[in-house]
Amino acid sequence: MTNTSTVARGGGASPAPGRRRHAPQRPAKARGLSPRAVPYVLLAPGLLVIAGLLLYPLGQMIVISFQKVGIPQINGKKPATWEGWDNYTRVLDNEIFWSSLRNTLVFAAVTVALTLVLGTAVGTLLNRLSKKMSTFVVIGIMSAWAVPPVAQGVIWRWLFDADAGMINWALNLLPDGLSELLFGRSDWTGEPWLNDAFTIYLVLIVCVLWSSFPFVAVSVLAGLKGIPAELYEAARVDGATPWRIFRKITFPLLKPVFSVLTILSIIWDFKVFSQLYVLMGGPTNREAFNLSIFSFAEAFRSPPKMGVGAAIAVILTLILLVVTAVYIRQIVKTEDLR
Amino acid sequence: MKFARIATTTAATAALALGLAACSGSDSSDGAATSGASAPAASGPKYAGQTLTVWRLGDSNPAAQKYMDELNAAFEKESGAKVNLEWIPWPQVNDKFTAAAAGGAGPDVTEIGNDQVPLWQSQEALSPITPLLQAGDQAEIPKNLLGLETIDGEVYAVPWGAGSRAVLYRKDWFKDLGIEVPKTWDEVVAAAKKIQEKKGKDVDGFAFNGGSDANHLLAAFAWSEGGEYAVKEGDKWVGKVTDPAFKAGFATYTGLVTDGLSGKSRLTQNTVDIRKRFANDKVGMYLTAGWDLPGIEEDSKGKLKGDKLAFFPLPAKSGGEAPSFFGGNDITVWGGAKNKEMAADYVKLATNKEWAGRYASEGGLLPIYPEALAKLKDDPAQAPFAAAFAKAKAFPADPNWTEANETKAVLQNAARSVIEGKATADEALAKANGEIEEILNQ
Repeated sequence: MTNTSTVARGGGASPAPGRRRHAPQRPAKARGLSPRAVPYVLLAPGLLVIAGLLLYPLGQMIVISFQKVGIPQINGKKPATWEGWDNYTRVLDNEIFWSSLRNTLVFAAVTVALTLVLGTAVGTLLNRLSKKMSTFVVIGIMSAWAVPPVAQGVIWRWLFDADAGMINWALNLLPDGLSELLFGRSDWTGEPWLNDAFTIYLVLIVCVLWSSFPFVAVSVLAGLKGIPAELYEAARVDGATPWRIFRKITFPLLKPVFSVLTILSIIWDFKVFSQLYVLMGGPTNREAFNLSIFSFAEAFRSPPKMGVGAAIAVILTLILLVVTAVYIRQIVKTEDLR
Repeated sequence: MKFARIATTTAATAALALGLAACSGSDSSDGAATSGASAPAASGPKYAGQTLTVWRLGDSNPAAQKYMDELNAAFEKESGAKVNLEWIPWPQVNDKFTAAAAGGAGPDVTEIGNDQVPLWQSQEALSPITPLLQAGDQAEIPKNLLGLETIDGEVYAVPWGAGSRAVLYRKDWFKDLGIEVPKTWDEVVAAAKKIQEKKGKDVDGFAFNGGSDANHLLAAFAWSEGGEYAVKEGDKWVGKVTDPAFKAGFATYTGLVTDGLSGKSRLTQNTVDIRKRFANDKVGMYLTAGWDLPGIEEDSKGKLKGDKLAFFPLPAKSGGEAPSFFGGNDITVWGGAKNKEMAADYVKLATNKEWAGRYASEGGLLPIYPEALAKLKDDPAQAPFAAAFAKAKAFPADPNWTEANETKAVLQNAARSVIEGKATADEALAKANGEIEEILNQ
């Protein structure tokens, strides 16, 4: 975001105030670093940590995805053998991969869109509330955001429980006529929400939406606070409608915020694991797998096939990279992200 | 735009932090194995000061805990080593074994399901203990009980107790509702319907098992019709689940839900889930064995025990009694044991006539020693199991069976797609057949 200024400061014609103050003979730079190297030295510790914790495992994952790795290979009783593209062809031939891919993509598209729309709506609402009320609502929604993923899954699993769940109970309380009109049925007793892939994903969308919109709402609120009130006054004086104001003032000015929020939401929603795992009650229902669960099930359930699991993870990473790269390119092109 | 900056920077940091989440595997070095033999024998017991980690499978319950306490005390007295006991619930067993075999903290001695032995042997997680079965009490264990444990001429586990399954039912409900103990499958269905009618719609008359151990139930139905999962022809497995006999059993199995004997919202429940519902008055009958009784007593806070519960052999739809899965629990030395000699001594003690006998009688299993088994036929409580044991069969003996059975849950998924009306039984079984062959022949 501050790229241009950093480049100007670090590289090129350094003003080097020190040089002016001290005599040129002074060996200040002789044993020191050239000013060009300073930023890299300062970056080195961070890069080292990232390399150790992120790049090395990532590299290992890619290596393993071309190998046969099971328990004897991990505990060193047998060497890992190279399999070429076998793991990948095995994955691509598996129809569970394609249903997982579909589940992952559709789920991410729907959830990212809903999260952003709901988050923005709540963010704009928060901006118009009084200070006390706004704080109250922020605390309220942020506690949903703070719930750990496994607990989120457990909460929604219980709400949607077929026999003891509140959702079926509440749907049964609806007047029969209304329920008939809305859903074409009035008896919801024992409705199994968590059997079928489609309904599991409905519950999952609600669950993830519930826990992720607060972050969007608060980020949007932060952005809104930064927009000068004069702009809105001027628009109101000119007689603009609220929708027009949002479209012409709020949205363009908040575009950088939206860009970042979209990328983050895409990344988060692609990787949903714990909530789905809990809602499904473990990796048994294979039609409801997404790529993360599929990768986990192949890699870690007995007998472990780490190579196949790694291949799925590589494919998931590539898809994510492509999606985010396309999106970032779009942003850079329109120079939104300043 | 200051706030926006802060927000976006925070978000970016958060993203980085999430990306950093990496799991660390610990390399265990078992090089520090201390030899028990070299311990000075003069200074008291052989393994004084050492600790032995033992994994028992299942949920702890007072009876089993008491047995283990006494067994461990006996071992401590004999050898001087302290025993560190851990309980591993059945649904987690394969995951815990995987972690232990991959280099995590594992046991020295572990209990293991007899059908899991081929898998963990193939993962090189077990040590051969053949000499242990050639001397003492253990030499009297019938050789036909070692089918799953013997691989390439070496024995990898010692049978501890055998298990066959029968139908556990609520005797008190049957009495209240005037139901006779069913002798045919139709009577089971009628009894289940009557229970649901009187005890509530959310009660499972006869519980459907679609979880990790579902094949114990499905197999009983399929085998009773003469069906098989797969047969080895030459050196290749050939799937048999599309055969009419298997299909008939499969239809009985899915019929539990489609005919309404069991709720359609619980298609992935395993025996542990069913047992908990049974303890909470939500199940009338299900297929299990005596080892569930202590857990039921505990989960129902002592309400369900004694004469409120009883077993009957599962009637086959085609008449007679259905064959039961030949289950059993073994005990063995884990491949990563620090002191294999000490671990083998523990196994030796636990499987002698006294302790294996107590393990079976106190844990609700069948004894492995012939003379003890012969006595059972006179015991009315054990007779249904002894009867089922006579007809017991095993799953395909292949290290990859666990993958088809539990990990990929091939037939559980087939059953679910049939129950939900997404596929016909023929389509689902044809798909399952291909997958079973692929898994077993890999």
